[in-house]
Amino acid sequence: MNKTLLGYVPNESPIYAVHPFVKLYFMLIVSLFPMFVSAPEWNIALMLVIILFMWISKVNMETLKIYIPVAVSMGTIIFISYTVLGGTHPEFELLARFAGINFYWERIRDALVVYFRILPMIFTMVFFLNTSRERDVIVAMRSIKMPFVVTYVFAMALRAAGMVLEDFQIVRQAEKARGYDPAGKSLPYKIRQYVMYMVPLFALSLRRSEDFTNALVARGYAFTGDAARVKRADYILTHYSYKYFDYIFIALISLSFIALLVLRYGFGYFVMADSWLLRLLHGWLS
Amino acid sequence: MSKIIEIKDYSWKYINTRNPAIHDINLEIEEGSFIGVIGPNGAGKTTLAYSINGLIPGQYNGVKKGTVNVFGKEVEAYDTGSLQKLVGVVFSDPEAQFTAMTVEDELVFGLENIGLNLAEIQKRLDWVVELTELEPLLEKPPYEISGGQKQRVALAAVLAMMPKILILDEPTSMLDPVSRSRIFKVLARLKEEQNNTVIVIEHSLENLVPLADRMVLISEGTVALDDNTRDFFQKGDLLLDAGIYPPGVIRFFHELHRKGEYSGDYPLTVKGGAKQLRVMKGVRDKDQ
Repeated sequence: MNKTLLGYVPNESPIYAVHPFVKLYFMLIVSLFPMFVSAPEWNIALMLVIILFMWISKVNMETLKIYIPVAVSMGTIIFISYTVLGGTHPEFELLARFAGINFYWERIRDALVVYFRILPMIFTMVFFLNTSRERDVIVAMRSIKMPFVVTYVFAMALRAAGMVLEDFQIVRQAEKARGYDPAGKSLPYKIRQYVMYMVPLFALSLRRSEDFTNALVARGYAFTGDAARVKRADYILTHYSYKYFDYIFIALISLSFIALLVLRYGFGYFVMADSWLLRLLHGWLS
Repeated sequence: MSKIIEIKDYSWKYINTRNPAIHDINLEIEEGSFIGVIGPNGAGKTTLAYSINGLIPGQYNGVKKGTVNVFGKEVEAYDTGSLQKLVGVVFSDPEAQFTAMTVEDELVFGLENIGLNLAEIQKRLDWVVELTELEPLLEKPPYEISGGQKQRVALAAVLAMMPKILILDEPTSMLDPVSRSRIFKVLARLKEEQNNTVIVIEHSLENLVPLADRMVLISEGTVALDDNTRDFFQKGDLLLDAGIYPPGVIRFFHELHRKGEYSGDYPLTVKGGAKQLRVMKGVRDKDQ
């Protein structure tokens, strides 16, 4: 397993044979699927499919644990927004009343639908991040002829994020070396002491940005003027070529999306009214 | 040999500072020469390097006096990017100069910026990878390799652009002795095989002295001493007063000289020192 600025990627994986653009295309298109699907069971099925893809791609499932707090906190926020902060609706079915707050079935149902729409989107992103090295992301963007400046700003953002994290570690070690130990202290204390990290980090970032600008100028790069209009050879793309299976994957992803739209709008599939999971849950809560 | 850098009565004062960082600099550098620039911290060495590369005044605000001509043209007269084809700079902090996600992309970045085609990029890449022995690192992210390797990558990235003038600003300040000598090994090969003009700003003189044709001492913002390497190090007292510690062998013979036990030129290398000692021993044996 290798650590990248984006996450952890496997050392060896069959997915590395796939062109980076296909992975980007998968992420962009498949993350749209849940937008057209209301019935949560279909979105759960999509998540299972993505987990299967991760398993085939030899993604270390242990590393996925880091996304659990995101999923939990997001679910909590959505649930609170729809229920506690959801307001009063006399026309809705009241399931319970607790501490002056009405819990309606429709609001819980909507929270679930939204949550299970967002989760698969995150899963597609996680799948992409855990199977793509930084270079793959750049190649994917370059292969769709995205302007170099856009690609490069993205790459620089990745670099900057990595550098800030490294600087943060350095500052933290330096603070610890001078006797700062936050273990066992209260949260407000830790938050106050965070300033100790922020000040040197900010100073370092300023210095780094100056060095980085100098490095760009020294390598002949310019965002404007004649130097910016130079035709780039895109050497990086010479390492990648589309294989027959790349075209097959692109076709499959596209056809799946078209099929989804046809089923949704032509035959009325994936709607809440037909969801057996919601019916089951409704019966259980009522 | 023609003069490719001509600096006349040059001073630069950064904005919001009281004194100029460098002042009254007069320096002429000939094509193909290998120059060592030394001086204490804050003496103005980096400012001088940036002035030759056009980073000053391009990227910094301040007040300039005098002229800095590179290939007969004032640095400000060059378009963005065109001076950088002629003058390459390797900075002291390798980490800060990386702009790409793999070592290979890092080496290629500058070549794409100057508009080279794929065939030329491949040719230069092969050359520079062989020169700097970076083949095993090409696929790695530059931020994951060791400090010495990082600096070799930074040097290679600039070398690949084949600038006529190469400036290295304390390239080994963050390196261990082994990594340091590897950088100088690359510079030695460069000196032997190419006709680049190389300017190295460096504190570690053991590696620099054997390569340098000429040494420049910058002290308190101005050129305090400028001479060919052999004559430069004969002025031991001046160097020590300026806070410069010449290589051990030079200090040793300088000490002998002060005690009246040696009167010749100071040897610059350990090999030269050993030879000198053998001569002295021979003379002494003969006298006895």
